[in-house]
Amino acid sequence: MSDKIKIKFTVNGDSEEREAVVGETLLKFIRDELNLTGTKSGCEIGECGACTVLLDGKPVNSCLVLAVELDGKELLTIEGLSKNGELDRLQQAFIDHAAFQCGYCTPGMIMAARSLLERNPNPNDSEINKALSGNLCRCGAYQEIRDAVKDSASK
Amino acid sequence: MSDLKTVGTTVPRKDAMEKVTGAAEFIEDRYMGPMLYAKMKKSTVAHGKIVRIDTDKAEKHPGVKAVLTGKDYPNMIGLYLIDRTFLAVDKVRFWGEPVAVVAATSEKAAAEAVELIEVEYEELPGVFDPREGIKPDAPIIHENLGNYEIVPIFYPKPGTNIANHFKIRKGDIEEGFDQADHVLEKEYYVPQMQHVPIETHKAAVQWSPDGKLTVWSTAQSPNVVRQLLAKSLDIPMHKIRVISSYIGGGFGCKAGASIEGLLVPIAQKYPGHIIRIVFDREEDMQGTFTRQALFSKLRTGFTKDGRITALQYEMIWDGGAYTEYGVNIVRAAGYSSTGAYDIPNVKTDSYCVYTNNSIGGPVRGFGMCEMQWGIERQIEEVAKHLNMDPLEVRLKNGMKRGSTTASGQVVHDVDYEKCLKLVADKIGWGKQESGKDGKLRGKGIAGLVKCPAQPSNAASSAIIRINEDGTAHVMVGATEMGQGMLTAISQIASEALHIPVDKIDIKVPDTDFTPYEWQSVGSRITYTCGTSVKRAAEDALGQIYCIAANLLEVPQEDLSYDGKKVYSNKDPNIKATIREIADSCKKCTGEGIAGPIIGRGSFVPTNMTNLDPETGQGNPGLFYCFGATGVEVEIDPETGVVEILQLASSIDAGKAINPQLATVQLHGGTIMGLSTALYEEVRFDKGIMLNRNFTDYKIATFDNVPHIDSFIVETPETNGPYGARGIGEQPMIGVAPAIANAVSDALGVEFNSFPLTPEKVWRALKDKK
Amino acid sequence: MKMLSYDYVKCTGLSEAVDILAKEEQAYPYAGGTDLMVGMRGGKFAPKKLVDVKDLPELNVFEENDQGIIIGAAITLNQIACDDSIVKNIPILAEGSHSVGGYTIRNRATLAGNICNASPAADTAAPLYTLEALINIAGPDGNRSLPVEEFFTGPGQTALKKGELVQSIVIPRPFPAGKGVYSKASRTGSVDLATVGVAVQNWGEHVKIAVGAVAATPVRALSVEKAINEKGEKSSAEAAKLVHNDIAPITDIRGSREYRYHMVEVLVRRGLEQTMGV
Repeated sequence: MSDKIKIKFTVNGDSEEREAVVGETLLKFIRDELNLTGTKSGCEIGECGACTVLLDGKPVNSCLVLAVELDGKELLTIEGLSKNGELDRLQQAFIDHAAFQCGYCTPGMIMAARSLLERNPNPNDSEINKALSGNLCRCGAYQEIRDAVKDSASK
Repeated sequence: MSDLKTVGTTVPRKDAMEKVTGAAEFIEDRYMGPMLYAKMKKSTVAHGKIVRIDTDKAEKHPGVKAVLTGKDYPNMIGLYLIDRTFLAVDKVRFWGEPVAVVAATSEKAAAEAVELIEVEYEELPGVFDPREGIKPDAPIIHENLGNYEIVPIFYPKPGTNIANHFKIRKGDIEEGFDQADHVLEKEYYVPQMQHVPIETHKAAVQWSPDGKLTVWSTAQSPNVVRQLLAKSLDIPMHKIRVISSYIGGGFGCKAGASIEGLLVPIAQKYPGHIIRIVFDREEDMQGTFTRQALFSKLRTGFTKDGRITALQYEMIWDGGAYTEYGVNIVRAAGYSSTGAYDIPNVKTDSYCVYTNNSIGGPVRGFGMCEMQWGIERQIEEVAKHLNMDPLEVRLKNGMKRGSTTASGQVVHDVDYEKCLKLVADKIGWGKQESGKDGKLRGKGIAGLVKCPAQPSNAASSAIIRINEDGTAHVMVGATEMGQGMLTAISQIASEALHIPVDKIDIKVPDTDFTPYEWQSVGSRITYTCGTSVKRAAEDALGQIYCIAANLLEVPQEDLSYDGKKVYSNKDPNIKATIREIADSCKKCTGEGIAGPIIGRGSFVPTNMTNLDPETGQGNPGLFYCFGATGVEVEIDPETGVVEILQLASSIDAGKAINPQLATVQLHGGTIMGLSTALYEEVRFDKGIMLNRNFTDYKIATFDNVPHIDSFIVETPETNGPYGARGIGEQPMIGVAPAIANAVSDALGVEFNSFPLTPEKVWRALKDKK
Repeated sequence: MKMLSYDYVKCTGLSEAVDILAKEEQAYPYAGGTDLMVGMRGGKFAPKKLVDVKDLPELNVFEENDQGIIIGAAITLNQIACDDSIVKNIPILAEGSHSVGGYTIRNRATLAGNICNASPAADTAAPLYTLEALINIAGPDGNRSLPVEEFFTGPGQTALKKGELVQSIVIPRPFPAGKGVYSKASRTGSVDLATVGVAVQNWGEHVKIAVGAVAATPVRALSVEKAINEKGEKSSAEAAKLVHNDIAPITDIRGSREYRYHMVEVLVRRGLEQTMGV
C-alpha cells in the first residue's frame, strides 16, 4: 500500500507528469504535490465546498476525489484563472463587490461560480443559489457574491 | 468632517487581489521547513480519572518522534482564570479533551500512533446541565478552583462549580417592582453554537537552537498568545515570536490562546523542526470554544403606560469544562443586562458554571446574543400584555444620550431611536400582510447594543514608517480575519497622513516586528487600533513639519502640507516634496536635519473603571454600539418552515470608515444571526457532541439568505477615530429575537428558545391547540 | 478522522471488476466516491482496495430502449437531473436526483451510488420505488435483475452479494402518464439530508407512493395506495392519514419520530393534491 501511480494530466493549461500516492485525495495532491495552495480544505467530507476545483471543466469537491483519478484529465484551480496577471472578470467582480471577508472559501466559491457562468451565462438569484449552495461562506458574503456573479455575467 | 478624503469612501480591500487569486497565505499554505505532524489522542469519557496511559506502542511506531502526555507537561494556561492545561492531567473534564499528543514524520504515522495509545479511565459522575451543576451536591469538576490564579474582577466560589458570580444591584429593585403595575416572569434558553469558520484551528511551532520559540497560529491575538505562553512556560517575551497569517474566519473561537502551546515541549526536543497541528472539522467543533448555553429567568416590572421600572435577571451559563475565558462573557452579559434599555432598578445574578460539556468561550456577540434574546423577547411580551405596539415600548424605554446602563455607565452619542425606526419603516411596520396558501405572515423587531468586553487597560499601538519615496508602512498588531482591518486601518492612516491609500502598505501581525495590540476581538480594532494609527500618523506628520521647517527655514506654523509637498503659506514657491523631506533630511549644505520618519501612537482607554464587587456599578464600556433588526416572515403552519421575506438591519457605526466593507460586515453579522436563529444548535448527549460536522451542524447557505436591507447610521463617537466605533459583532445580536418576535406575531405563540427549526415551530403551534 | 490507506485499481472491463470484487477481501467498487470517501474517513468503511469502475462502458450507458431508460451505474446525478428527456417525462426522478447534495457533489455522485449507500433517507430511492425501477446487477455468477424495493434490505444494507455490483438502473416502460412529485422536509431546505422524503407518482389509472427516512429502508405507502387505487378514496387528507400504517420512524438528530409521522402525512397529502388534482 501507499503505492504511487504515475499520472499525466494538465494543470492550469500546463502538461504535467507526476506520481500520485494511492489513497491520497486530489485536494492533498493539489496542495502538497503541485503546491497550489489556493485550494482550501474545510471539512474533508464534501460539505463546505472550499476545495472546489474544475476537473475537465466540471466543479468537484477535490476532497472527495482521488489524486490518481487526475490521470488523463484537465485540472483548473484558482491559480489558473487569471492569465498573465490579468484577472478573470469574475475575480474582478468579487473585488468590486467585496464579495468575501476572510477569503478562505473564496477560491472554491469562485471556481464553482465560474463553472456556473459557463453553463448559464446569465443566472438569476435563484439559479445562483442552487448552483452555489454547496459552498459555505461563514462570513456571510452571500448577497455580495450573488451581485458579483450577476455583474460579471452582464459584462 | 465633510472634508475627509479617504475615510468614508469605498476603496478596494487591501487583501483583495491576494484573496481572489488564491495567493493569500493562510498558515497551512506556508512551506516552513523540516516538519513533524502532530495528532491528538482524545478522551472518550466526559468526566473521569486517568488511571493509566500507555504510550509504548505509539512511541515505537515507525515515523513517531515524540509522544507527550499531561504528566510530562502540566503547565497551566488561561486568559482570565488559569484553569487549563494543554493536555489533561490526572483527569479529563470533557469528551474529546486531549490526553496525549503524538508527533511523527507524516500525518498518517501520527494518526496511526494515536490509535496505539491506550488510556484507561475511571469514569466520574458528570455535570451536563449548569442548573444541576450549581446545586450544592453536584459532582465537583475543578477541585482546585480555590487555588487557581484569577484576574481579581471575577468571583469564583471554591468548593462549587461556580467559576464566576457577577452581580448588578442598581437602584432599588423592591421599589422598582412596587412602582410597577404589572410583573412578567419567564424563563429562556439559548443552546450552544459553534463558530465553524471554514478554516479550522491550526498552529505550528519551532524552537530554534538558541532558545527562541516561533509560533505560527490562526490566533486572533498574537500578543495574547505570546503573553500567555511566556507566563505558562516561563519564557521571556523577547524569546517568543508569534505570527498570525490571514485567518480564515475567527468569530471569537480563535481568541485568547488555544492550541499553540500544545506542541512546545516537542519542538524543544527537535530544535529547528516545525511541529504543526491542524484540527480537522470534528476536532474543531468539539475541542475548541463553543458558545455557552444560557438558562435564564427574567422578571420585568412595568407600568400600565409601558415604562419598565424594574428588571431582575438570573443567568446560569454553561461554562463547559474550562472557563478561562468564559468567566468574562458571564460578566459582560451581567453588566449589560438591561440590553438597549434604560431601566432604573436592576438586580442581576450571572453565574458561570462548570459542566462536562465542551469548553465555553467567546463567540461573536460575547454573551449579548444570549442575554438580549431574553430582553427582546420579554419586551415583546410586555407590549402584548399591555396591548401596546412593541416598537413604542422599545422607543419609550430605549437608551438615549445620557441614559445609564445596568452598571450605571452614562451613554453618549446614541441614536437608538433612529436605528429602530429605520428598520421598522423598511419592513412596513404596522401594516399587516396576509400570507398565501394558508401561510401566515408576521413582523418583528429587536434592538441591540454592545460594548467591547475588554479589560480596562487593554491597549493598542501602531508604528508608521515613512519610506524615502514618501510611501508608508503601517505596522499594527491587529489580525485580519476577514473583518477588513487592513483596509480600514490603512484608510485611517491615509486620512491622517494625507498619503493615498494605495501608497500605504500594511501587513498581518508578527510580534517580533509589529507593535502591541491586546486582541482583535470585541469589535474594538477600528476604535483602538484606529486611534493608535491616527496618533502615529499625527506623530509622523509632526516630524514632517519639523523637518520641513528646518529644510525650508520657515516656522512650522507658517507651513501647510497637501500630501505631496510642504509649502510656505506666505510663498507657496518655498516648498519641499514629501520625497525630499522623507529621503534627504538634509539641507542643501549637506548638513543633516533628522533621521527617517517613524511615527508612533498608542491607546489605552481612560473612560473605563473596575466595577464594584457587590453592585457591579462602574464603567465597563469603551463605547456602546446600538442597532436594530426588523424582519417579516411567512410560516407554513403545517410544516413549521419559516421563510424570511424581509430582513432589515441597522447599525450605528459612528462613522463608516469604508461604507462598502461596513455593509458587508453588517450583512455577515446579520446572516450569522439568521443562521443561529433558524438552524444552529450544538447537540450533546452526556457531553458527547452529536453533530460535530457540517452534515448535521447546518449553517445558512445561499438558499437561506434573502436580500438584506442595511442601514449604516452615523452618530459620531466623540472619541473614536473620525467618529467611528466598531460594528463587527453587533448585527448578529438582534436577529434571533426579531425573527422570533415575527413568528410569534404571525402565530400567536411564544418562543423562549431558539433555533426556530421547522419542528420547533410546528410543536409550538401544536401545543397551542 | 481516519487516514486512508488502500490499493486502487482502475478497471478496463466489467468482468475484470467483478473478478476483483469477488476474489479480494474488502474490495469496493468506486464510482462517484462521494459516500464511500466520507464513509472511509468516518470509519464506516475500511476498504483494502478500491475498484474504479467509473469509466467502464457498461456503466456509462444512458439511453432509452424498448425496455425503458437504462441508467448506467456511473451516470451522475447531475446528468440525470439535467437530462431533457428525464426532466420532461419522468420529472420525479429529476427532482429526486436534484435533491441530493449540492451541484458539485452531484457532478460526482451517481444514482447507483445513492441506492448502494442504502440510506433510508436516499432522495432517489422513493422516486425509484414509484417508478418500479429495476436494478441490473453484475456478479461472478452472471447478471441478475431485482426490483428496487428488494434491493434495499436495511439501513446501509443491500441485496448485493460478495463480488456483485450494480451495473445499471432501469426505469421500465411504460413511463407514467400522470404527474409525479418528490418532496422533502429537511432542517434547512437547502443542501441537507431528508428528515422525510415523499414520492407520489400518478400513473394515470393508479397512484404509487413511496416514503423515505421513516423506516429502516424506503417503503411504499401501500395503505394509502390501496385506499385510493382500490377503495376509491377521494380525499387526499383521509388517504394520507393511512401512511402511518406503513412506516416506523425513529427519533434522531434530524427530527423526532412524532414530527416525521406528521410530516410524512402532510407531504403525502400535498403530493396527492399536486398529482391527482384533488
